[in-house]
Amino acid sequence: MTQNPPFGIDPRGPRFGAAITSVLLLVVVLLGLTESLEATLVGRWLQPSALLMTALVALFAWGAFAGIQRHPYGMLYRALLATRLGPPDEREDPAPPTFAQLIGLLVTGLGLIAHLAALPWALVVAASAAFIAAFLNAAVAYCLGCQLYVLFVRAGIIRRRSARA
Amino acid sequence: MDARRAPLAATEPHLSSQCVTLARGPHALRTVVGMDFSVALLVVGGLLVLGTVLGAVVRSRSARVASGCGGDEHELAVSGAEVTLVQLSSPVCSACVAMRRVAESLVAEQPGLAHREIDVIDQPDVAHRHSVFSTPTTLVLDAEGHVRARLIGAVRPEQARAAIEAARTELVHS
Repeated sequence: MTQNPPFGIDPRGPRFGAAITSVLLLVVVLLGLTESLEATLVGRWLQPSALLMTALVALFAWGAFAGIQRHPYGMLYRALLATRLGPPDEREDPAPPTFAQLIGLLVTGLGLIAHLAALPWALVVAASAAFIAAFLNAAVAYCLGCQLYVLFVRAGIIRRRSARA
Repeated sequence: MDARRAPLAATEPHLSSQCVTLARGPHALRTVVGMDFSVALLVVGGLLVLGTVLGAVVRSRSARVASGCGGDEHELAVSGAEVTLVQLSSPVCSACVAMRRVAESLVAEQPGLAHREIDVIDQPDVAHRHSVFSTPTTLVLDAEGHVRARLIGAVRPEQARAAIEAARTELVHS
């Protein structure tokens, strides 16, 4: 009936990560709104909001390229929470949340680049958009990036095996 | 303004040095964002409210029963079954697994109920016919293959039970 334990990941892992990410993104928004845009490229990068955003971009890149199972938050989740919560009702394929990390990387990365290019509001807008997505994932288990993944698979943009493989 | 600009434009070096000060001056770009902390907190609070409202919308739409969508799927109705649940699933969706579990438990408890699952990637035609864009969506077919309701998302067993019960009754008009 359901898949064997080795298949798939505990879906609560990515949600736990999304909760941390959404808090950090809110901090970026708060810092970004109160800070002023620095005049030089290095100055803009060294702004606290941009430094935190850089860390978030790096974390999204980690999840997108190493896979969501190897994400530091996932490791943290397994070490701290997984054993206390017990096994999940169902496991899920790691591909959609990994793709969602790529979408997160795209949004935060573009925001950071635009900010470095001295575009005002870029950091705040990108962090706000990413926050909404991360918040929905953490709060109601709605993973926007995963929905996109499924749409892309159905449109034939991404190749994928079938449901009951 | 004009009186000040004219001499600047006339002397080229002066103008360029003025530009440099504008672009590189430590306070030149400082007023672009830099809002008050309390205002920034309000914005952050607004984002939280927006997220919560969207979350509530997503939640209310994630599992629901829609009826009156119409359509027929004679071929998909399991012969001999009073009601067939045709679940449209996609490769990777944990809600599809949850819905499968609900459907299988209902099949175990109710005679005359059948459940079958269709992969929207392998067989996209069914999803196309009914304009199904989210998975899982489960078509509730009566004995004649009329689509009596659709279960959108992983619905609760009692939601599914009510839709199945309605599909068991004779279709009065149509």
